[in-house]
Amino acid sequence: MIHIDVEAPLARFLLKVDLVLDERATAIMGPSGAGKTSLLEAVAGLRPRTRGRIVVDGEVLLDSAAGVRLAPEARRIGWVPQDAGLFPHLSAHDNVRFGASGDRRRVDAAIEALEIASLLDRRPAALSGGEKQRVALARALATGPRLLLLDEPLAGLDVALRERVLPWLQRIRDEWDVKLLYVTHHLGEAIALAGDLVLLRDGAVEARGAPIALAARPGASRASASGLENLRRGRVAAHDPAGGITTVELAGGIAVAIPLAPELPVGTAATLAVRAEDLLVAYAEVPGLSARNQYPARVRCVLPGDADAVVEFEVGGDTAPWLARLTLSAVDALGLEPGRRAWLAVKSHSIRVV
Amino acid sequence: MEAGDLELVAFTLRIAALSTLLVVGPGIACALLLARWRGPGRGVIETLLSLPLVLPPTAVGLLLLWMLGRHSPLGRALVARGLDVVFTWKAVLLATTVMSFPLFVRSARTAFEEVDPRLVGIARTLGCGPVSAFFRVTLPLAWRGVLAGAVLAFSRALGEFGATIMVAGNIPGRTRTLALAIFSESQQGHDERAMRLVAITVALAFAALWTTDWLTHRRARTTEA
Repeated sequence: MIHIDVEAPLARFLLKVDLVLDERATAIMGPSGAGKTSLLEAVAGLRPRTRGRIVVDGEVLLDSAAGVRLAPEARRIGWVPQDAGLFPHLSAHDNVRFGASGDRRRVDAAIEALEIASLLDRRPAALSGGEKQRVALARALATGPRLLLLDEPLAGLDVALRERVLPWLQRIRDEWDVKLLYVTHHLGEAIALAGDLVLLRDGAVEARGAPIALAARPGASRASASGLENLRRGRVAAHDPAGGITTVELAGGIAVAIPLAPELPVGTAATLAVRAEDLLVAYAEVPGLSARNQYPARVRCVLPGDADAVVEFEVGGDTAPWLARLTLSAVDALGLEPGRRAWLAVKSHSIRVV
Repeated sequence: MEAGDLELVAFTLRIAALSTLLVVGPGIACALLLARWRGPGRGVIETLLSLPLVLPPTAVGLLLLWMLGRHSPLGRALVARGLDVVFTWKAVLLATTVMSFPLFVRSARTAFEEVDPRLVGIARTLGCGPVSAFFRVTLPLAWRGVLAGAVLAFSRALGEFGATIMVAGNIPGRTRTLALAIFSESQQGHDERAMRLVAITVALAFAALWTTDWLTHRRARTTEA
């Protein structure tokens, strides 16, 4: 168990966090400048003005009241920053060996786990973004840390690369005896990796819970290969062969038009999936729209990322929020903020029955 | 080159090398402090350190002379221990060290500032103490600037004139360096010898600069390969 109860002065506010982490992986999200990186630095021992208590698996790393302050090198905490932070003057191999103090077995295991054997002779400058991240992960793992701090390890990577590196993080989580504290801007990543999500704002914990529960509700959304999806259970209400439409009624009386699915008899249960990317948002009902589904909604919260944002909507009587992924410019243009009214639209063909 | 020239060159090189050695240790400490420390009093330290760069060297020399003279407590303490500094080779060394120190610190400090402090932080989380992190990360990444600073300091020491003549005088065979000799010879109308000494200093300067160039480029190639 990890107990982090710290206070550290930052430029604009005080970082003040009291967290008990039980899960193997905990995600930290929040807007830029919320104190996410500072929190990791405080845990790693790299912020000298941190006060409070940090206990990892029974060992006290920091207890400012009792005058205990372990140096970073004595904490057994690994740190992988956003740009990997490889030592540019050393080869990938020397990077991985840097902190391992002769423990070859661990080094070899880390090299094998992250499949970087073919990269070892290269300098960091000759590695791609994803390769750098894997080398940095191996370097941290080779020292045998009990906690790994990951600061947006996938942020600099394009979507395809993210999806290639993410499984390695999942393997580390599942196969190595190390806990992960993971800063990310992507809800999908948090859901895929972490059992616990902490939302930071202005240095304080704004919300806390399981990623799905926090971002949505259990069973309401999931991270899949295609990104973040809204999942809804409903009942087939009617078929309209002439219009090519099947209507599914969701909880709260929301009727959803999907492409004709005659194989589903009227009255049977169906689960619908809509990708967060496929939800259109308008500030008023749009007349003459081809999309067959339009619903009045209200913004519950905005989870900004580095390039886009996930916006949570309340729709009608549906208790589970709907997640839409929008560009930051769209969020800005529509003035989306908690409480704001909006309309959600989705094409029938963007809805899958799962 | 005459026999006297050789002695002169040897003495000057010895002084320059020794003062560079003396500058490097404390200079690195000072440069690191200025590059990393953001506390109060930083500006004062910075100004004090840069003073020898902007003051006339003769003024620095006079200050040193006053500090080491028999009228100051430091001077009296030194004399009481039988350490006579003023007008000896030790005074030459002191003058060149003081004058080249800020040049070294400037160059090394810029180099240290360019090292991402997060890399040092990462080294710490990987098990390095502060000293080990310095030698394994900071110095290897900043060595070019540190070396450039050392060459600057060496060259400055080779050519130091004003402070040296104030605190060490211009005593042939005792405190006379190349720069002082050029002055004396030309004052006495020995233009041929003065020009010969100038040629020697030019050759020394070229040698120092080329050595650095060669060192940095060779390392650069092996680093980037």
